[in-house]
Amino acid sequence: MAKKIQRNKEQEYLLHQKLVKQLNAGQISRRGFLTRMLAGSLSLAGLSVLTDSAALGAPARQDTRPLTPTFYQWIDDLHPGIESVVNPRFDNLNFQIAPVQGFGVERFVAEARNQESTWDVYVGTTPFVEMVQLKESGAIEPWDPFIPQEVVDDMIPSIREEGIVDGQRWAWPFLLDVIVQSWHAGILTEAGLEDAPAATWTEYLERAQAIVESGAAPFGATFDARGWRSLAPFTHSLSTDVYTEEGLFDFRSEPAIEALKLMKDIMQFANPDILLEGASDGGVNDTPDEAAWAAERAGQYTKYQNAPIRFAENWVDPDQVRLGPLPSFEGGEGSTVFWTTGAALFRFGQNKEAAAEYMTELTYDMQIWQDSIAGTETGRPMQLPPYQSIYAEWEANPPAWLPDFVGLVRGQLDVAKAIPNHLFGLQQFVIGKPVWETFLTDEESDPAVAMQNAWDAVQAEINRDA
Amino acid sequence: MTTVTVKPETHIKSKGLLARLRLNGNWLFVLPALVFFIGYQAYPILRVLWMSFTDLQYLSGDPANWVGLKNYINALKDPLLWQGLWRAGQFTLMFLPGTIILPLLLAILIDRVRNQRVATIYRVILLIPAVIPSTLVFVLWKWMYNFQIGPINHILVNILGLYTIRTAPQWLGGTSLTLPAIAIMEVWWGLGYHALFFLAGLASIPKELPEAARVDGANEWQLFWHVTLPRLQPIMAILVVLRFGSAMAVIDEYLILGGFNRATPTYTWTVFMYDQAFKSGLWRQGFAAAIGMIGAIVMMIVVAGLLWVFRSRD
Repeated sequence: MAKKIQRNKEQEYLLHQKLVKQLNAGQISRRGFLTRMLAGSLSLAGLSVLTDSAALGAPARQDTRPLTPTFYQWIDDLHPGIESVVNPRFDNLNFQIAPVQGFGVERFVAEARNQESTWDVYVGTTPFVEMVQLKESGAIEPWDPFIPQEVVDDMIPSIREEGIVDGQRWAWPFLLDVIVQSWHAGILTEAGLEDAPAATWTEYLERAQAIVESGAAPFGATFDARGWRSLAPFTHSLSTDVYTEEGLFDFRSEPAIEALKLMKDIMQFANPDILLEGASDGGVNDTPDEAAWAAERAGQYTKYQNAPIRFAENWVDPDQVRLGPLPSFEGGEGSTVFWTTGAALFRFGQNKEAAAEYMTELTYDMQIWQDSIAGTETGRPMQLPPYQSIYAEWEANPPAWLPDFVGLVRGQLDVAKAIPNHLFGLQQFVIGKPVWETFLTDEESDPAVAMQNAWDAVQAEINRDA
Repeated sequence: MTTVTVKPETHIKSKGLLARLRLNGNWLFVLPALVFFIGYQAYPILRVLWMSFTDLQYLSGDPANWVGLKNYINALKDPLLWQGLWRAGQFTLMFLPGTIILPLLLAILIDRVRNQRVATIYRVILLIPAVIPSTLVFVLWKWMYNFQIGPINHILVNILGLYTIRTAPQWLGGTSLTLPAIAIMEVWWGLGYHALFFLAGLASIPKELPEAARVDGANEWQLFWHVTLPRLQPIMAILVVLRFGSAMAVIDEYLILGGFNRATPTYTWTVFMYDQAFKSGLWRQGFAAAIGMIGAIVMMIVVAGLLWVFRSRD
């Protein structure tokens, strides 16, 4: 009898260890863990694990309210399927719009300082922008214990790496943006050019010149002057080996200097207000390139893929918009920049397991993706999914609404690189912009000097406290 | 004897009790205002003052340490602070005359309208911009000033032919025209509101005064300069001081119309402060508080000067 009891205890221990391992790896949910532990008569041990914050990497709390996700307003505006399709599948869901604007996360941080959170999950964070701030402040916790392993495995490899800091996953990717090339087929045809993407920047510039000289449009090309939307992707098209060990963009690197020279070359054929700040969200949105593109004044455009589509909606013929991979320098790497806007899990929130279930439903919902790509009455956001299985399914059985360029954009992700996660991931480009622009405005004749000054300005800001 | 000695003592005691009750009662009545003043005004100021002497970084889990005057020294050595104050001063210089001269002239013109119904219509029309929510005002003027599709540039390029599409003025987004463009928007927005101040001032001038001046042979200019203007001086003083403070501390318009580009004229000391407190690094709120205190001290010095300029000479 004593032997039998001993053997049972050993089996209990082995099962216990196995389930804890699975729980921590995210292979089973907390609910699943508890059920299996109960089935194995290990409920007390199970409860002790669930209340062990060290095992889960987060303070465990009793769920006393319904799942409360909060979304950045623009996501809800652009993707009506969230409220009409996904949310009704969850009983007692307390869906809310986040009190944020211009990437501001002040409210979340303030609540975390009081060890509380009104919400459980925030959908609207971008890893290199505000995710690191949220992490540093202790407002969020890693998804690792909650995100199913099959979801992680399904992510496109470059996206899988994007939300990782210190070996842990802090963001669950949702909406994918990648910097691509776009062109106005009507303008290019009128200028006697081929309705196809430019393979190299040299070709891109020749086309820009031809557009202006032919009078097909006043501007041959335009771009968004914010560094993460132009300087960084242009640099990546030559080389992605431009980051320091700590993850800062090395303005002084040769590829970055070449990219700056390219920006100046494009500016010869671009709208003259191209360097001005945007008119909303602290200068980053409502940018001059968008106005030029929307007014059909520019023949070519480089920006994240949804911008050319959205701002072509008011063209005389919106079907004239085309997308393709970002051009490359001769002999360049042919990469670009991408980022995802996804979800962060509040450390002091509740319903963490339910939040993971909600995110799985949300990010795999095919209606959301069809609406995003084909458009709805509220618009055509053209943001793309982060999962390999969805693209594989589309490739095997292409839906009638799927445009060809989705495959091209997907192809770019195999070579695209995200801007590394750093506290100054976005700020470095904000601080450096007025400095490197001295070369673009002819205040500084040497691009290397302008870039060195930009680097120095960023370093001075980082070391302000030293 | 006993009665003689006891009665006054009782009287004095009861009088003291009453006095004390009255005194305590007075404090009771003052209490709501006191709580409001301490909680809503004094505490936040003192809290920011304390923060300005610490190395508080909001995103950091580390406790704030007392660093003495370090933040002030660093801020005073930072060219961004001086540039920011100068830029805010430039905007104030562009904005203030528009809040005094134009509304004053308009108020005088409306004051002379004898038909009350017409005068009311003018007042209502003038007040329309003042009651439009700020968001709408910004959206409207952002569109007006838009380089590509704005009506102002459309008129200048396509109708008047004064510019080409490449040389048209770039109003917003960080050019030298940005501050004047915002000042024009602000003057338009506050025109009716400021004119109402002067209309109230004009209504308080006794009718006998201008009549007596006219009898003495004063012309309209002399009437304005020697009778009307001195009587409006208190109103002007209030407007100048109030609007100086709001102009120096503008931030919403700069964040919306200029962003965080440090080279743009809209990157003033207020934006610098916000940038440090909520954007840069671990949110250096101790340093940002020092910037705020320095800005506030500079403004208080100027306000003291303005109050001296507009002091009563009666």
